[in-house]
Amino acid sequence: MSDKERSSRRDFLKLAATGAPVAAVAAVSGATGAEAAVEERAGEGLRVTEHTKKYYESARF
Amino acid sequence: MALPDTDMRLDLAEEDVLRADLYDLLSLVLARPPSKDLITKISELTGDTSDLGQGINALSRLARQVTPRAVEDEFNTLFIGLTRGELLPYASYYMTGFLNEKPLAILRNAMARHGIERAENVYEPEDNIASLCEMMAGLIRGRFGDPADLSAQKDFFAAHISPWAEHFFTDLEGAKSSVFFAPVGAIGRAFIAIEREAFRMGA
Repeated sequence: MSDKERSSRRDFLKLAATGAPVAAVAAVSGATGAEAAVEERAGEGLRVTEHTKKYYESARF
Repeated sequence: MALPDTDMRLDLAEEDVLRADLYDLLSLVLARPPSKDLITKISELTGDTSDLGQGINALSRLARQVTPRAVEDEFNTLFIGLTRGELLPYASYYMTGFLNEKPLAILRNAMARHGIERAENVYEPEDNIASLCEMMAGLIRGRFGDPADLSAQKDFFAAHISPWAEHFFTDLEGAKSSVFFAPVGAIGRAFIAIEREAFRMGA
């Protein structure tokens, strides 16, 4: 990437992303808990969550 | 919950810090029902008149009104459900119509290349949107080693996020059950569009 491209990208991002600084949130909450080489993860579909745990419990007999 | 980013933040260009912060925010709110502390923090955010800023303002406004319990219920309805949630926020699903498909396999290869492993207590497929946002933030900040250069970031974004994330965030914004998560969708949609345009300009 040329210096010119790099600087136009930076200028664009500064304009586009500066409108919503959210550092406070990221800094305080420390991302989602991923460790150094570790991927964190989210919640939904098929994983065991509080919700599905309850469902499994209720379905057990 | 360590905070490896803060020390490295000094070395990053201003715009890269902004990008990583936005990815982290999206990851945080989509990974699990946002905690009371997180909701309080979000309530303090302000944005400008851009689409992104307006999304932040809308989310912040809602954060001042909602209860954590209501947000958790909404999260569960959207992403968990009894059999499944209203949305399936996985790259494989959006790109192929099925879960755990080739996009997940390709992602796992990329994760191995970048030295990213999933946490042991995590059973969900890695190609969910929260994990992908966390990985982008980590690549930008150098959480998984040296910060990834722009072209590595671009490759990761182009392969795993760009093909579907805008579509997902649009769905999230418009989901029947979305209240608190509607502006999350708007923020994500606006931000991914910015990222795509920025990568087009450079790298």
